[in-house]
Amino acid sequence: MTRGNIPLYSPERIALKGENEVETKVKSQALKEFTEAVETLANPAIRSWREQGGKVVAYSCTYVPEEIITAAGLVPFRMRASRSRGTELSDTYLSNINCSFCRHVFNMALRGDYEFIEGAVWASTCDHSRRICDNWKRKVGTPLALMMSLPKKTTEPQVEWWRDELANLKEALEKHLGITITDDRLREAIKTHNETRRLLRQLYELRKKDAPPITGADVLAVMVASTAMPKERFNQMLKELLEDLKGAEGIKDYRARVMIVGSILDDPDFIKVIENEGGLVVTDSQCVGTRVFWTDVDEGGDPLTALARWYLQDKPACPRIFDQTANRSKFVRDMVKEFKVDGIIGERLVFCDFWTVEHYLLRTKLKAETPYLSLDREYLWAGTIGQLRTRVQAFLETIER
Amino acid sequence: MSKFIEERENWRLVQQALTITTGADFDVKLYAPLAKRFQELLNEIIRCSREGDPFLISYYACAPEIFVAMDLPWFTSLASAYLGAVLPGHTAEVDESDTWFGKDYCTALRVGALRVLKDQLPIPTAVVALIHPCDGTIGFHQMLKEKWPNVPIFACDPPYWEDDERSLHYYVSEIKRMVSFLEEHAGRKLDMDRLREVIEESNKIIKLWQEYSELRRAVPCPHGYGITVQAFGAAQYVWVGHPDGVQWFRDLVANAEGLVRAKKGKVENERIRIFWFDLTPAHLVYDLFVWLEKEWGAVVVMDMFGHCPYELIDTSSEETMFRGLARRALYQQPMVRQARGMADHFLSDIERVVKDYKINCVVWPMHMGHKDGSAIVGLMREKCRELGVPFMSIGMDLFDPRYTTVDEIKDRFTEFFTIMGLG
Repeated sequence: MTRGNIPLYSPERIALKGENEVETKVKSQALKEFTEAVETLANPAIRSWREQGGKVVAYSCTYVPEEIITAAGLVPFRMRASRSRGTELSDTYLSNINCSFCRHVFNMALRGDYEFIEGAVWASTCDHSRRICDNWKRKVGTPLALMMSLPKKTTEPQVEWWRDELANLKEALEKHLGITITDDRLREAIKTHNETRRLLRQLYELRKKDAPPITGADVLAVMVASTAMPKERFNQMLKELLEDLKGAEGIKDYRARVMIVGSILDDPDFIKVIENEGGLVVTDSQCVGTRVFWTDVDEGGDPLTALARWYLQDKPACPRIFDQTANRSKFVRDMVKEFKVDGIIGERLVFCDFWTVEHYLLRTKLKAETPYLSLDREYLWAGTIGQLRTRVQAFLETIER
Repeated sequence: MSKFIEERENWRLVQQALTITTGADFDVKLYAPLAKRFQELLNEIIRCSREGDPFLISYYACAPEIFVAMDLPWFTSLASAYLGAVLPGHTAEVDESDTWFGKDYCTALRVGALRVLKDQLPIPTAVVALIHPCDGTIGFHQMLKEKWPNVPIFACDPPYWEDDERSLHYYVSEIKRMVSFLEEHAGRKLDMDRLREVIEESNKIIKLWQEYSELRRAVPCPHGYGITVQAFGAAQYVWVGHPDGVQWFRDLVANAEGLVRAKKGKVENERIRIFWFDLTPAHLVYDLFVWLEKEWGAVVVMDMFGHCPYELIDTSSEETMFRGLARRALYQQPMVRQARGMADHFLSDIERVVKDYKINCVVWPMHMGHKDGSAIVGLMREKCRELGVPFMSIGMDLFDPRYTTVDEIKDRFTEFFTIMGLG
């Protein structure tokens, strides 16, 4: 296999069989559909939505408030680069010291793979991602392309600033679509997204068991699907999955319980490699993971203020936010305890400065209690599968029960 | 404090060498008072640390006029990494920092972090952090917070937008919160009359710096490499709001004026005028840029830190002073100006400098830590194409000479100039 030439979710990329291949034992139609939704960008749910006249707005990061997009009658879609084969177009605009995730996303946009979206919204998060907005606005014909100025701290003045930014986003969507997004629509959207969060917490609750009924790879597929289809449909399917998992046979033959900590990881195959070596992934602190659903948005009061407060103060922060290091390490520590984690695998996309320091700080704080493996990766990682297996094997040998 | 004392000794030796150099060029003579001033600053920090007087870690883009007005000595932890690149032992330090943070985190931040973690810097009374323009700064200050849990730290939160009233109002409020933070933790009060005095001296320096920058538009350029970044250091670090800084700039302007009147340039046969769009790396200054001038008649007419689009601050009221400081911090100071917000400032600066300074070519060094700028290298190239000037990006480390060696960089320049028909 050569890196970059193998589509992300194609059959030939399935991880090599390891010593303890694990799989979710239950047969679930919902899980099958979730897995399919992850394999392409314009997946069946998105295509069906568009065929009914629906529109989609892509967003770059968990700090972009999905609820406002939903309240506008649109489907929020988290940017990713499923089935990307290379960066030959985006490399003309970016450089070889830029994050491979961003390069692949932009490459797909330049190829026309994002033609299904009506708009794209960025928050001014990392250096790589925010510059994709600058390039995208000039080079991709998306009808609406917006940036939001995300604060770097979480005190009250920043909540007020962020509320104003949310109001600006709302206004921009209203103007573009010729609609009004009322407070009632916002409250309805918040309820729907809170329902998603509640259901995802139920799913994760099952993973606390000594024999969880679902693999980490499959949970990641569910999480990615949650960012790639209409929320009501997702919620309905997740309820079906939870029903299917009731009483399902659990996974017992694993060597250690693992937590993944890091940023944007949207490839279940990566988790599969870890799990096939015997490291059952039981929880995480990730962008497409617990950080987006561990708490709920307040459903009372002014909805924009409730959203601003939740996105900035209440949801577990990522290392882009300056004054939350202590809370982040507490969140990880609490997760380790609740999910009976034996070891943490910290994954980082190469050139990500936030996670360079965050993994250093977490390792330093937690090493006395919980073994910590730091792994660097590229967005397309198929060519490094051997190295990944070796490092995971070695790590599991040190922590296995 | 070991690194600090070592650095102070290095500057003492530099200053000694400069002051006994006879028949030296003006450039060299100009550096002597700067070297002396660096020692004085470091001495002051060492004294404060030993005697328990308050001092800060902070940065040029954190409204340093306020620190001066509050009589709070301050130093920039990253300046040492920049200047240290010319000293023996630097690469060993870089290598050691790799083992803590890996190789793709900005070398300046890595080395700065290493010195903190190894207790080689004096522990300040407080830190006023700069958490922009790049991602690396946030992590660096988070690390400082963990290492020094008892040192209070404040950061002004920067809005992403360009020059709108809402953003300015927000940042003015952040600066005022910074003042409250300093009054609480450093035990000094900000007196508005004193702030006015400091800003008025700073304004004099800026005005002279602007004059100097205009003189560099002349063909041939009166001075070469190095002075532009020295001017930045003088105005925004060592002599913020200080009358000695005014005198330094008067000498600089007088010398440049004389050369322009006499139509004398740094290089006798100036053939290429370069815009170096980043910090000039200390370890290359006496090698690459000397070679460029001698071999190609190529002068670095302007660089990112020498570009002076500063406004004079209106000192008529407390509000106008805070607004002026906020505007300077967000929209005028180098690197922050370009990298903090949307890409437009990168592109408009290229356009402005190319036109004003009659630039023949633009060079983006592509420092390994400047990832946001490197993510718009295509847009920069297109802007240069529109302006009809060649563009080159190198790929280097401004703080580690081994990443791309000076010989490799010279080869790149040779190829570039030859293909583009320059020189």
